[in-house]
Amino acid sequence: MLKGVHQKLEPQQTPAFFVRGASPFSRMVFFCALSIVIMAADSKLNYLSQIRQALYGALHPIERIANIPSELFRDAAKYFSVHNELVQENYMLKQQAFEQKVKLQRLNTLQAENEHLRSLLGGDIPIHPFAVLGDISHTGRDPFRNVVIVNRGSQHNIQAGQAVVDSKGVIGQVTRVYPYSCEVTLITDKNLSIPIQVERNQLRAIAFGQSGNTLDIPYLPTNVDIQIGDKLVTSGIDGIYPAGLAVATVTKIEQDPESQFAKIISTPIAQVSHHLQLLILELPESKEPEAKPVETENKAAAEKIDDKKDKKRINTRANP
Amino acid sequence: MQTPSLLLVYTTFFFALLCQLFPWTGQGVILRPDFMLVVLVYWLLRAPHLCHIGTAWVVGILVDLATGSLLGQHALAFTLTAYLALSFQRRLVLFTAIQITFYVLGLLFFARFIILILKLFAGNEAPSWHYFWPVITGILLWQVLRIAFGSLARPKSSRSE
Repeated sequence: MLKGVHQKLEPQQTPAFFVRGASPFSRMVFFCALSIVIMAADSKLNYLSQIRQALYGALHPIERIANIPSELFRDAAKYFSVHNELVQENYMLKQQAFEQKVKLQRLNTLQAENEHLRSLLGGDIPIHPFAVLGDISHTGRDPFRNVVIVNRGSQHNIQAGQAVVDSKGVIGQVTRVYPYSCEVTLITDKNLSIPIQVERNQLRAIAFGQSGNTLDIPYLPTNVDIQIGDKLVTSGIDGIYPAGLAVATVTKIEQDPESQFAKIISTPIAQVSHHLQLLILELPESKEPEAKPVETENKAAAEKIDDKKDKKRINTRANP
Repeated sequence: MQTPSLLLVYTTFFFALLCQLFPWTGQGVILRPDFMLVVLVYWLLRAPHLCHIGTAWVVGILVDLATGSLLGQHALAFTLTAYLALSFQRRLVLFTAIQITFYVLGLLFFARFIILILKLFAGNEAPSWHYFWPVITGILLWQVLRIAFGSLARPKSSRSE
């Protein structure tokens, strides 16, 4: 009788008579402590970014396998697209290219003129950034963050901090770079802020990402000159985003007389969810601030300072 | 009811990782179950000699890498969940299938809740109730696993004795 009962219970793993190894509680405590240490190291000390990159690179083949079904689906859709549609699209694209070529002719002359005027004024010539085209491979898997993953990585010379745009406006910034992909944080993410300028009156401000796919512009007084429908463009003072890229349009203004600041909400112009391609702009080269000719009243003092600088330069050259 | 081998355990983990890495879009992102967590809980309850708290930690680190979240968040949550799962594992023989389902529901909810707390500590804003949808879809995935790899509940014939 007893033997029969034993046989029936056999599929269930019988607990070992002697407990081997550490107890579950001590294991739990050990691994919890380990995770907390790793979390602290990852968030505050940035030691782990290299390790994370390497491990993510190891995950890349698995990710490629996981992407195969959707890629196949996409390719199949391409294969079965109708001839007529393609011809129409081709015609439209040609027309668009022609229109843009005409505009581009004017742009070149304007750019040359602008550079000439700037050089007359003694200002820096703005750098025309070089861009890399990337495809959005998927949206981020973390529901807490507004990110997209793009199929360009450190193998394509992508660096963290590069600005990302689409044909309409700014999308965001590269925040993490993996060997074959990079993570682009959208401007609507809570942790991203972007220096902006109101196109109408050149008012400078900083826009912060907010929940619900909007941007918030805090710290502006209630009597600020901003209207609904105003276009916000990048101001370029951060040296990351080139000046003049469209960012958002103001959609809502709340002027609470009791509050010191106006509450200004705007919606981004770039449409991340509508297409797959985006441009990753190259970071402007970090130039050393050159010593400009200073027009001071006592030129002698200025010359002395210059002399000292020159000596310092010579010293640093002598002792590399 | 086949007896689980280490190979089977790791194969299921591999497929769970594939599902986790699958590019989900639109509603899928909200409804996507925590594949790795459900598979982990299944093997923890089914074969604790093959899958223990250490496995839970490694799986958590993999999920952290896959989602790009702070390294260690999922690892901590999965470790705590694994401990909770194992502490009642030996009593599961007395449970019926429905009771076990509710037990797993509680475990999945617990893991999500721990991750939520950790995310809030890290400075994220509180999400809407959609955040807990994966618990429900996770239970559906649990049923699939139960059918595919065998139930945890005691076979009916031995209850009559």
